[in-house]
Amino acid sequence: MAETLKRVLSRGGAAWSREENTPAAGPPLLLLGAPGSGKTTLLFAAALEAAGEGQGPVLFLTRRPFQSLPRGTGTALDPMRLQKIRFQYPPSTRELFWLLCSAHEAPGPAPSLLLLDGLEEYLAEDPEPQKAAYLTALLLDTAAHFSHRLGRDCGLMVALQTQEEADSGDILHLSLLRRYFPAQCWLQPDAPGPGEHGLRACLEPGGLGPRTEWWVTFRSDGEMMIAPWPTQTGDPSSGKGSSSAGQL
Amino acid sequence: MAVVLPAVVEQLLSEMAAAVQESAQIPDEYLLSLKFLFGSSATQALDLVDRQSITLISSPSGRRVYQVLGSSGKTYTCLASCHYCSCPAFAFSVLRKSDSILCKHLLAVYLSQVMRTCQQLSVSDKQLTDILLMEKKQEP
Repeated sequence: MAETLKRVLSRGGAAWSREENTPAAGPPLLLLGAPGSGKTTLLFAAALEAAGEGQGPVLFLTRRPFQSLPRGTGTALDPMRLQKIRFQYPPSTRELFWLLCSAHEAPGPAPSLLLLDGLEEYLAEDPEPQKAAYLTALLLDTAAHFSHRLGRDCGLMVALQTQEEADSGDILHLSLLRRYFPAQCWLQPDAPGPGEHGLRACLEPGGLGPRTEWWVTFRSDGEMMIAPWPTQTGDPSSGKGSSSAGQL
Repeated sequence: MAVVLPAVVEQLLSEMAAAVQESAQIPDEYLLSLKFLFGSSATQALDLVDRQSITLISSPSGRRVYQVLGSSGKTYTCLASCHYCSCPAFAFSVLRKSDSILCKHLLAVYLSQVMRTCQQLSVSDKQLTDILLMEKKQEP
């Protein structure tokens, strides 16, 4: 999933991109940030990206239906892509467990991407660490099963809301989750210069590559604007500023 | 595969897999390495393998899960795709974050993969769902 997210974020900065010619999903990714930091928007953008790759449907799990679809990240909301995203709304942790445990029974083609928004809500219902570990492990197991059915990797991306003041329960969960998610993307309030605001999106691909960072801001209409983090050095600008070579 | 083991453990397991192909037993040097890495869990895990305590359960969907009959007579469920075991020792090491890498049941599962020896059981898709769900109810 880390690779798909990287493509989404890179596309936001059109003048500079990493060439990712293989539509590989990458390792399971945990997306972290405070409320309002854009996790849902990014998840949704990743869903659209994967849907556009034509490798299979996308399964988006969240507790409540969206009141309105998240604003895109600059690309138009393509109805064809939207159709490929299957939304499911497990209202409780129990329902989520059931959904994951019975995923192999579900008919139809296996998803190429599994997304979950709001993991913290499901974990909060039952703070016992073993259950939290099992829920997390089941997410991976479900994605692994989809991969097996697809014959190629099914990506997994999960968003977790963090608080400004993390309490001990949060910290415990976080270390547990990091055992299972090799890749993480943090969305933190930060700005490259004085007088500016926004978020720093910091993607750690989990040992498969260097950390990459982007600057994320929101327009007044809610649209997410992404640019490479200006202070970034050491990233070879491969060739000219050709637009992303990723799949459309 | 979502399994993420420390490189040294991965390497040991793959070397063992190659070595076991030639002879049915694990050469002593690997047993020593196992003991070094895992302490007493290594002996207990090997014991579990010897006693045929590991079962690979699969359903027509292709999804699989492992069950290990522990020394206490309790059966524990281990996921096939990533590190999870329903035993209390695993919860403890998960709680502690860095106490141990694997519990003896998970180690036994990996050893049984290396040695290609474990029981096999086929169940229906529905039964597999129940097996996976059972863990949530935490049987007494």
